[in-house]
Amino acid sequence: MQCMALESRRSQMLRGVLDLCLLAVVVDEPAYGYEMTRRLRERGLSIVGEGSIYPLLGRLEREGLVATHRAASDGGPPRKYYSASPSGRQALTEGVLAWRDVRGGVDSILAPIEAEVAR
Amino acid sequence: MTAFVEECRREWKRLGVPELLAEEMATDLEADLAEAQSDGVSAAEILGESDPRRFAETWASERGLVSEAPPQKKSRKGLWIGLAVAFVILVFVGFFSLAFITVGTSGSGGSVAVLRPSARPVKAVTVPNLVGMGVCKAVVTAHNLGLIVHAPDGPCDAVVVKQKPRAGAVVRGDTTATSVVTLRVRRPRG
Repeated sequence: MQCMALESRRSQMLRGVLDLCLLAVVVDEPAYGYEMTRRLRERGLSIVGEGSIYPLLGRLEREGLVATHRAASDGGPPRKYYSASPSGRQALTEGVLAWRDVRGGVDSILAPIEAEVAR
Repeated sequence: MTAFVEECRREWKRLGVPELLAEEMATDLEADLAEAQSDGVSAAEILGESDPRRFAETWASERGLVSEAPPQKKSRKGLWIGLAVAFVILVFVGFFSLAFITVGTSGSGGSVAVLRPSARPVKAVTVPNLVGMGVCKAVVTAHNLGLIVHAPDGPCDAVVVKQKPRAGAVVRGDTTATSVVTLRVRRPRG
């Protein structure tokens, strides 16, 4: 039960920033859907249980935060590549600032608790 | 997993997602799932959902490809209200005319009530310039404006070279015959 509650909390926290994570993994180099999932995993973020990235990519595309093009993939069929558009980069910058602000505030409140737990 | 993708295709068709875009999404999803499988990654991590219909609906809806409920119901409601109001007015006019005649007032000519069908709300749409766009982007752009798009099947990077009606033309979104945009495309070489 406690495990489920923890999962639910993790999920809720991640949902608020998953769009930023997606923008971050295509800001330097375009990637297709699965390649983005792979990049997230390589950076230590598993999204099992957080829903699929496709609806989120759809929203980013609709809002013009990602640009898309179709190109051949390595040895596979042509894929749809996503890259951060200028407004996507702007949204990423703003999002990162907001995230740091929230994280700083929460950290300063939770840090002593964490120290107590670690003791 | 092919069954999952097939179910998605059916759902997109049911939701009225333009065929070109539905095919694009299905193809990408299929390729991603195959690659994930060869990497030993579970389909759950890719799909995050075991219900294909819900998955397909969420994706299409977030992409803005699911049409709003057709305005017909609203228009019908308006029509009925209009007819009811007209009927009440007619009854009143009839009643007073009758009363007028009954009390023996002589006059030249009575009033004539002319009932006109209440104008249905018409949504005028200015056709955007789609020439030069990738065909998928053109389809989404036109679709989001409520236009019906006729485009040939083919890859998304085919470029629109001609459109009918031309950009700037105003069409009325309630008339199927006039809200169609037909695209001609040039396919990429190679």
